[in-house]
Amino acid sequence: MNVLSLRNVTVEYREWRGFKLSRLRALDHVSFSLEKGERVAVIGESGAGKTTLIKTILGLLRPVEGKVLVLGTDIYKLPKKKRHIVTVKIGYVPQSPGKALNPKLKVKTTLLEALEKSKVSEEEALKRVEEAIRLVNLDPSVLEMYPDQLSGGMQQRILIARSLVNNPELILLDEPTSALDVSTQAQIINLLNIIHEKLKPALLLVTHDLPVAQYLADRVIVLYRGRIVEENTIDELIRNPQHSYTRLLIESYL
Amino acid sequence: MVLAVEVENLSVGYVDEGEEALWAVRGVNLKVLEGSIHCIVGESGCGKSTLGKAIVGILPPHAVIKGVIKIFGEKVVDGDKTLYHKSRGKLVTFIPQNPAKALNPYLRIGDQFYYVMKSLRNYDKRRALEEAGKLLKLVGLPDTSYLDKYPHEFSGGMQQRIAIAMALANGAKIVVADEPTSFLDAHLRLQILKLLDELSEKLELTVIMITHDILMASKICDHLSVMYAGLVVEDGKCKEILKNPLHPYTKMLLKVVPVLGTRKKLESYVGEPPRLDEYPKGCPFYPRCPDRLEKCLNEKPPIFRVNGRLVSCWLYGGEYERT
Repeated sequence: MNVLSLRNVTVEYREWRGFKLSRLRALDHVSFSLEKGERVAVIGESGAGKTTLIKTILGLLRPVEGKVLVLGTDIYKLPKKKRHIVTVKIGYVPQSPGKALNPKLKVKTTLLEALEKSKVSEEEALKRVEEAIRLVNLDPSVLEMYPDQLSGGMQQRILIARSLVNNPELILLDEPTSALDVSTQAQIINLLNIIHEKLKPALLLVTHDLPVAQYLADRVIVLYRGRIVEENTIDELIRNPQHSYTRLLIESYL
Repeated sequence: MVLAVEVENLSVGYVDEGEEALWAVRGVNLKVLEGSIHCIVGESGCGKSTLGKAIVGILPPHAVIKGVIKIFGEKVVDGDKTLYHKSRGKLVTFIPQNPAKALNPYLRIGDQFYYVMKSLRNYDKRRALEEAGKLLKLVGLPDTSYLDKYPHEFSGGMQQRIAIAMALANGAKIVVADEPTSFLDAHLRLQILKLLDELSEKLELTVIMITHDILMASKICDHLSVMYAGLVVEDGKCKEILKNPLHPYTKMLLKVVPVLGTRKKLESYVGEPPRLDEYPKGCPFYPRCPDRLEKCLNEKPPIFRVNGRLVSCWLYGGEYERT
């Protein structure tokens, strides 16, 4: 069974401007799927629909057309309040770690919150949180700290830990290293690969940074203005890009 | 060769009420040639943005400064005195990291160009808009209707391109660009860098580019200064440094950057630059350095001249002269 499968997904933003309804098609008949343990990157420029795609997969944005199947269940057929039963199996690592952590909550509280809907005992929850913290190579003492006491790299590790507490089948990575320094970026890339090796979750990386995608994905999907314009293995894509955006992107790195 | 910017023994710190200053830049020397592209590379918290702001003259009020900065031979910082009024905004302009900071949200783009050009070049509106249209075209926004729009109607990347055009609007001779491409899409970064390169050549513009991406920097830059913990640890011609980095920190920067098309192993260097309030006695890179010596722990390395390059590392203490 596929971990994630999108079938003809179309997402539109609608806005009333005076008496005129304007529609912006952010995703246009997007179809792809991820198998268990697969590592896939979605590449695209700003406005290509990358963030919309993530929101749609997380069950936060209903498509006007098409299906989003997470572990075989069409999440938008479930009532809104029940969607989390499926989406809890998706871990999510956001772009800027500084903005994604509540500065007034201890790291421990932040991590435990992620388990609130999972109906696990308090003991089990604490055990999982500590396990996740060790997996990201942090000392459990950080659990008692506040986000501003931690560096950007450590904050990102906390967010990776948060994405792991529910034993996810799929982890969504939204530009996980773009807000980090290069040396921290290398640490996070290596860490994500070690985690993938150990737990084998499927990874869906969303980025415009092709060199990073090279380390975190085997297959690449190129999104351009809401459509999939190219799909290939990463090596083949670099060797033989088809779309003009892909070519431009590759040239800028050579 | 004319020196556009000369920085001598400059320290910049930040003071909190009643407390001692925390020094973000610690005794830096820098020489920037006119018409060159000079990159300052380092991780966050290394003092590169502070140094850039000191050159432009836009340090926050709680900053303290000592040392000398000369712009085309004229002192703008002398000891703790600052005399920026002749250079700031006229000779030297700034492209900020966050483009939203460079643009007034309540004015149309065309008007913003007009006000800049009217005050410094005395252009009338028609001429200013014409010029602005050309500048926008240069930075990849060829649509003249953009001049009638407000900043919020543009994406972050477009805003940054407008900010770059705006920095050039008054005919500045020196542009300090603080991570000018980090808000841009990857496929547009090279275009912007090439644009800066072109402008540098055409207008003899001196570009001081602050970045953490050493490979991006290397695409256009002539001279490289690598900063760590408020110090310039390696300084020399960009090509030479890329080919043969000398300081262990420079080596680290090159080993951690992913390169497209090669899947070399990325090294994990643990640790971060030291905090300003816990500055070490010896070499600040000591805790992370794979080649550290015993004396590095307690003795601060002086700057050695190694084959025309300046390197602040004890590894070169044996055979090379101190500066």
